[in-house]
Amino acid sequence: MVRLITHNILACHVKGCTSNNFPLQLQGVQIELREAEFNPEFLKTFLPKIEWKALVDTAKEARDTSLPLEQPEMLDDEFLKNLHHVLLEIHIEEGTMICPNCKHNYPISNGIPNMLLAEHEVG
Amino acid sequence: MSKYLVVFAQAHLEFRVPELESVAQLYNFQISFSDNPDERDPGRPYMIVGLDEEEHARLLAKRCILVKSIYEFYGKGANYEELHICNRSKRTLWERFIPETSFRFFVTSYNHKIPQRRQKEVVESFAYMGFMGKIDMKNPEITLGCFEEYETRNRATRERHEGDGDFLQVYFGRLIEEGSARSLIQLFDVKKRSYFGNTSMEAEISLLMANQTLASPGKLIYDPFMGTGSMAYPVAHFGAQVMGSDIDGRQMRGKGSTPGIFRAASQYGVSSRIVDICTFDVTNNPWRCGELFDAIVTDPPYGVRAGAKRLGRKKELDTSRLALYHEHCTNPRVGDSPYIPPTKPYELSNLAIFAETWGRLVFFLPTVTDEYEEVDIYTMLCEGMEVIANSLQDFGSWGRRLVTIRKVTSEKYPIPDFSSPKTEDEERHVPAHRHFREKYFQGFRKDGEGE
Repeated sequence: MVRLITHNILACHVKGCTSNNFPLQLQGVQIELREAEFNPEFLKTFLPKIEWKALVDTAKEARDTSLPLEQPEMLDDEFLKNLHHVLLEIHIEEGTMICPNCKHNYPISNGIPNMLLAEHEVG
Repeated sequence: MSKYLVVFAQAHLEFRVPELESVAQLYNFQISFSDNPDERDPGRPYMIVGLDEEEHARLLAKRCILVKSIYEFYGKGANYEELHICNRSKRTLWERFIPETSFRFFVTSYNHKIPQRRQKEVVESFAYMGFMGKIDMKNPEITLGCFEEYETRNRATRERHEGDGDFLQVYFGRLIEEGSARSLIQLFDVKKRSYFGNTSMEAEISLLMANQTLASPGKLIYDPFMGTGSMAYPVAHFGAQVMGSDIDGRQMRGKGSTPGIFRAASQYGVSSRIVDICTFDVTNNPWRCGELFDAIVTDPPYGVRAGAKRLGRKKELDTSRLALYHEHCTNPRVGDSPYIPPTKPYELSNLAIFAETWGRLVFFLPTVTDEYEEVDIYTMLCEGMEVIANSLQDFGSWGRRLVTIRKVTSEKYPIPDFSSPKTEDEERHVPAHRHFREKYFQGFRKDGEGE
């Protein structure tokens, strides 16, 4: 269950792949929605760490367009609820994450992403 | 500040003060320790601390795993005369209870059993307080406790009641709050957990670790050696979100369709706070830049029960096998098993460097007792880090230290390089945890000692 919050902090780490290696593209993904407890305190502290454009674009791929293109200045309840849903309730169960730069494939199986590299890819 | 008497559970002496300090910091209040070394000795079962408000004592008692109870401090002494002089001088603290407050009074001791007859004498010696409210042993409005502390017997057998009255110190106070966090040790008991492994951390220690991270709602806490998730459950229980990774996904998954970590987390009602578990080698990690985590908590593998591994081979492949390997990577045949990268051992002292870009780092470090020096901890620090706590869990010839480090700089550092451990003659000092595995299996013998 790779959640979009996790997707938002993972980058390709193949040796030498240091630019255009984020966000990883999703391919053939199977998505599940699962309710999580609403924690506005966490959302507010995590908000500055989010790569916003990557999150909005990825949410679109998961057919969620509830987030504004720019991070709003006023954090109202509706915005926090939408952010909560996108970050924590959308789970990628199966599929692949692909580096936009080096095209390395990171498979997701049973909700667990395999980010291990082969030995020649290790820096 | 007012004085409070902390009654400790008899466990993990060196963890007591760090836990009190961490919980005080978590709730953002001050705690002060006495200038008198007797009153702040963490080896003693009773400690006098200074707090601004009664509410702070309650917060400590509700969150500290090692606190049995906290009392408002009324008096102490090497004998009852001294205690009563002290207690009389604190009259302003207790005179409001004189007219009609119902109360319970008990006398107890540490390392000793006081005969009934003398317990009664002790209670009667407090008659001058003149409490007029009714005595209620079940639901009193206040509870007054008197504690006699006897010297540790060191397993020497003593006759029942032998040495009665020959105590080191006696303390007296009013109960503020019974400690309630100790019951979590039963809740998180590994034996009752639906998923665990042979490297699972015992419940009490994992709870103490969680308190060192300052876990609370609003935080994201990361365990880079997640294993079976022992630290994740208490951290999540205290409200934080947990991210986990491990080089070996099998540890986190176990058997069954739902990964083991999520099964155990559901048992504790915290599965939605386990954000994700990822398979990768933390020494080659895919986290993007940014100060992502509020704390890191981990029990890294030191090679005793599980090997300390990172990606790579111990020896390089020869040409023909290298060609085969590239063939497997580029042209996998149908039915080939997925590629499983080989792993090689690494020196753990490099791991600590990895913590630099984050807040608090809480981890265990095994050390050989005879060889340990305070400086060992400092050899692992980088600039802008400071040691907050360093508590030994003693197993005799070796021990493990729960180390808490805090980042005190906002400067950015380059990603650490785990590839080449410093050779020993390059370093001014070789820490006692270096090559811990080898030392462990040699029984900590010195060079030249026989079998």
